[in-house]
This record gives sequence, structure tokens and C-alpha cells, in this order.
Amino acid sequence: MKRIVTLLVMMTLLASTLAGCKGDEGAEKTGNATDSTKAKSESLLFWHTYSDAEEQVFLEQVMPQFEELYPNVDVEVVRMPYDGLKQQLITSIAGGVAPDVMRMDIIWVPEFANMGALEKVSDKNGFEAIKNNVFEGPLNTTFYQGEYYGLPLNTNTKIAIYNKQLLDSISAEAPTTFDELIDLSRQLKGQDDVWGIGLSGTHAWGMPPYFWSLGGRITNDDYSKASGFINSPESVSALETIVALNDEGLIGPCILGEEPGTWGGMEANNYLMIDDGPWYFSMQREAGIEDLVVPELFPAGSAGSHSIIGGEDVVMFSSSKAKDAAWNFMSFLLSEETQVTMGGTGLIPALKSAANNEAFSNDPINSIYVKQLETAYPRTPHYKWEKISEEFQLTFEMAIRKEGEPQVLLDELAVRLDSILSE
Amino acid sequence: MDTNLLQNRIKKGIKEWLEVLPYIAIGLILVFVFVFYPLFKNFYISVTEYTIIPGAESPFVGIENYKQIFNDDKFYYAFRNSVLMVLVTVPTQIIFGVVLAYIIDNARKGKTFFKTAYYIPVITSWIVVSYIFKYIFAGGKGGFMNYILMNLHIISEPIGWFQNTWTALAVTWILSIWKGIGWCMIIYIAGLQGIPKMLYESAALDGASEYQKFRFITIPQLAPITFFILINLTIGAFNSFIQTYILTNGAPMNTTHVMMSLMYARAFQNFEFGIASAMGVLQGAVILCIIIFQKWVIKKSER
Repeated sequence: MKRIVTLLVMMTLLASTLAGCKGDEGAEKTGNATDSTKAKSESLLFWHTYSDAEEQVFLEQVMPQFEELYPNVDVEVVRMPYDGLKQQLITSIAGGVAPDVMRMDIIWVPEFANMGALEKVSDKNGFEAIKNNVFEGPLNTTFYQGEYYGLPLNTNTKIAIYNKQLLDSISAEAPTTFDELIDLSRQLKGQDDVWGIGLSGTHAWGMPPYFWSLGGRITNDDYSKASGFINSPESVSALETIVALNDEGLIGPCILGEEPGTWGGMEANNYLMIDDGPWYFSMQREAGIEDLVVPELFPAGSAGSHSIIGGEDVVMFSSSKAKDAAWNFMSFLLSEETQVTMGGTGLIPALKSAANNEAFSNDPINSIYVKQLETAYPRTPHYKWEKISEEFQLTFEMAIRKEGEPQVLLDELAVRLDSILSE
Repeated sequence: MDTNLLQNRIKKGIKEWLEVLPYIAIGLILVFVFVFYPLFKNFYISVTEYTIIPGAESPFVGIENYKQIFNDDKFYYAFRNSVLMVLVTVPTQIIFGVVLAYIIDNARKGKTFFKTAYYIPVITSWIVVSYIFKYIFAGGKGGFMNYILMNLHIISEPIGWFQNTWTALAVTWILSIWKGIGWCMIIYIAGLQGIPKMLYESAALDGASEYQKFRFITIPQLAPITFFILINLTIGAFNSFIQTYILTNGAPMNTTHVMMSLMYARAFQNFEFGIASAMGVLQGAVILCIIIFQKWVIKKSER
């Protein structure tokens, strides 16, 4: 008898232990849908990474409209931390508890499409209409092997931001060309702990605007080949220029991740210029940032002024059980009204009509970003982007640290990039 | 051999097993679920090009993943750093641990206070202390360590601790040593209690100095404990992950990765699960070799 009791106790313990390991798939999605008075027939899980201010607008202005339009769809809106988000997403896909819809960094889309995690939207009802009304650059970020795997939601780029106090100290205007910028940086060199250029890092988000504007190229136009582009004479000379500027002490220590960082350096008047996206202004509006800095187009080098395209797409996961509702939600996010509302937070609409809507385009800072976007280039849209960016950063960091000659380093990089691109 | 006897023995064996089964079933099942299954699954993943999407194909690629590992500079850096982590931190922790234990054990006052003080880092979360070290060794003139060193005129320019390979590695070592000393000390204090006082008394009669007592009585008597600590610390140091992941995550230029952080990056930043698992298999093999070697050395020295 005693033994049987022991056995039963053991088994119960074991059962409860093992039950703990098995994820409860339903629990994720029920959320706050327990309100039985609203007989919701479908529920969606939506992940996003909106900032505080953006999320407030989204929850208070955008979501109520959707609930009015589709009263039988219950959307659970979950804000995700950007740190470790990719890992979390991978885990959720593997465990079969991925969200239905997600606002995702544009550069992730090919990768997840390649994994088979995303639902293609090319054949969805009303896709053609949306396709014809959004900007082409952002739209192309959802394109993978002949199909579209999402919709561009909002876009961004980086512009030059100049320090008013430092400009005043040498009684200069904000420069518009690279040569002027270099000239002003030299004038400031005498001041203690002041650098002309606060380049945010050697990574593939920090370097390209400088590299492109100075004449560099990463790949050919259809992103199939790097040899002859990343190591062309123009590209080598662009990198040599950046290395020389750094050697001369015109570029701040932030290029190698040291202190002061770009934001802190701007605040403490260490840097004459940094470059950043619209969030720089929307996050510091209350601190009166607009009186302290001068926004301006990225300084034009030998190839003109070319910044980098960033932004977010909205995608649907192939594991979603409510694909129609998910598509309705995605289409709703692309409606002009929603796009204009979210544009009010400084997010640049992907929809042409919303970007041209006066509510958005009358803002002086927004208009600089929209103008900069006209000449901005995208990062290489490839499912191995993570590897490309790793190789890119390694090479550029080695060049800055004088661990090799730009020509040699870029030749080696070209070979490595070619082998990644041909996969 | 009498067949009857054999049958009886088997019967008896089965009966005995059945009797103890209820008591060890839980342990057995848990070991299978959490140790053996992951072990074999990991090996399986390491010979495929693994996809994590449920229901997708994971083609068999044989030793391709292992080949890829050895074609990668990052792996050699990571292996070097893991070995250095062992070589630098393990002896230091043992030496500091045994000396501290001896001093505290012979202290007249404040034993508990010092034990507690040295043990606090051990029970503090790795993540918390890693972030604290990240702040202490922050770059620029405003970094805590730089500020102190510059005020003492030891350095004239701020050091970018995490921007240079060797200073970054040094910070991870300092953190690991600082956090591990307390553990060694506690184990050694326990070991010191077990040394017969007689030995010290007779040594004192023969006119041995304090140093000689420590050198010729304490250290040899602690040998088995040292072996236990050595094995634990070696495995621990070779498997170190959090401090590197939080402090450097491989920067600058992937030269500060250790095996574990590189494995993590492979799996969760590049989605190369096959390669990451292959690294795990290699890691296990290396640790096994280290332990076999250590056992062999200890056996030899005992003779």
C-alpha cells in the first residue's frame, strides 16, 4: 500500500514537471479576450517595436478605428523589446507560437522569407492597389525570389545633424558639402575634446552614407555581384578618405565604439556633426532639441548626398490561423488615414499620398527626411544580410584600425561577399 | 555455469529493479528528457543543415559543419580565448582561494564577516555583476576606472577597455576571478577543518616556520580538494559565456569571443544551428579530454 502511494505521488510530480515543459499554445493568444460580452470570432497577435510616443498614438488613435471597422476581430497588440527580438522571434516560430502579424525591421524580411516563416502577399486581394501607391524603395524590401512577403509600413533614413553651439563658435553655417565639413572640422581641431564628425560606427548602418557619398559602391544594381564595385577605384578612394580623416583626428572616437557616443557627444558639444534618423528628434522633442541642433541634408561628396534607407515592414507569418483577418489588418495599417496618424509621430509613411499629405509634409524636419530619401540607397536585400553586414563591419573596422590597406582589405571583402551573394 | 542459477539471478535482478524503480523512475525519466535526449539530438543537428521551422526539411550534410568550423578564423580566436580563460583564471582563483582560506581560518576575529564579504560575489547574478563591470570599465574620461587611473596619474589618456582585444579580455578575466575566489575559499575552509591538528603540533615541535607548515602540511593535505576545485573551475571557465556575451560579445573584430559566445552568435544571430551544434560537440570532446588528462596527472602524482 505504502509503495503504491509513493508511486502515485511520484507520478503526479513527474506529470506536473513534464506538463510545465509543454508550451500552452492557446494561452498566448487568449490574452484579454476573455471578455465574453464581445463575442469575437477571430483573434490576432500583433508584435511591434513602436517607441513610447508611437505606441500611445497607435493604441489611442489607430486601434479604435480598426475595432470599429472589424468588430469581430480581436487584436492583441504586444510591444516587444528590440534587444534580443530576433532570438525571441526564432524561438516562437520554432515553438509554433509565432505572432500572426508583425512590424519588422526591413532588413529581416528576406531572411525570414527564406526560412519559410512568412506568408507571401502578392496574390492577396487588394495587394496590387497598395503596391501602386507605396514608394518603390520601401516596397522592394519585401521582395524575395519573385514574390512579395509583406507591406512597407514606414520608412526612414538618416540626415546630418549639426551642433548649433559649435557652428556659432566658429561663426559658420551648416555645411552642405563634404569639403566644407572637413574644412570646419579642421577649424575646430584646436578645441579640447571636439571632433568634426561623429560617425556612429564601422557597422553597415553607420558607414554607408559616408562611403556612398564619397563615391563608394557595395554591389551592382541587382545585388548579385560585389567584385568590381566594393573594390573599385572609387570605393577604395572613399575608404582611404575616411581612414585619412580618422588619422587626422577629425572623426570622433565613437567610430570605434568609444566614448563619447553620438547622442552624448552632441549634447556635450563634442561633435560638430552626427547623422541619425527621425527618432533623434521625436525622442528629444521635449528636451527642446530643435533649438540646439541644425538638421541638414547629408553633406554631398564626390558622388552626391546619399544616405541609407531604414524602416519597418508589416508581415504575416505562414503559421497564422487567421490569415484573412491578418490581411485585413495589414491593409488597414496601409490606409491613408492610419499612415497620416502614425506620420504625426515622425514615422515617414510608406504610402505616397500620406507622405505628401500636408499634415506630414509641412513639418520642416520631416521635409528634410523626405528629401533625403529621394537619393538614399537600401542595404543589400539578401537573406544572408546578417553575414554580409558582419563581413562589411569587420573590413571597415580593420581599415580604421590600420590593420591593412584599404585596397587589399576591399579586394578580400569582394571575394567573400561574392560567395555569399551567389548562395 | 548452472542455467538454473543464472535464471534465478536474472529473476532476482528483475525483482530488485522493480522494487527500486518507483524511487528512481523520476530521476531516470528526467535524465532521459533533459540529458540524453538533448545530447543525441544535438549530435543529430550537428550533421544536418538544420532548419527550425516546424515540418521543414533538414538535409543530412555529414561532417560539412565541422569542416566549416575549422575554416573560420573566429573559431581559432574563440578557442584561444577559452583556453586562456582556463589558464589565467583557474590558477589565480585557486591560489587566492587557498591563501584567503588559510588566513581566515587562522584569524582570531571577523571570520564570518570576511567569509560573507568574499562569498557575496559568488551568489550575485552573473548578469548583474557583468553590467556593473561594464560601467566600471566604461570608455572615455567619464569611465569610472579611467577616471581613477587618470587621477592617480597612472595613465594620461583614457583607455578604451572594450575596444582593444587584450584589455577587453583582461576585464573578463578580472571579473571571472573576482567572482570565483569566494567559492574556492569556502570549499578550502571546509577542507582545512579536516586537517588533523596533530600534524601542525608535531611540526611546531620540530621547529617548522608558519610558511613551512603551510607549504608542507596544508597544501599536500588539501590535494584532493584542489583536484575537485580544479575540475569544477576548468569546466566552468571553458564554459564561460555570460561575462563575454555582455561585456564584449566578440568586439573588437570577433577577437574576444569565447567558444560559448561564438556558439550563441552562430545559432541565434546567423541561424547556423548545425554549425553551432557541431561546436557544442567539439566543446564536449575537449572538456572530456581535459578531465581525463587531469585525472591521469593526479594519479601519477599520487604514486
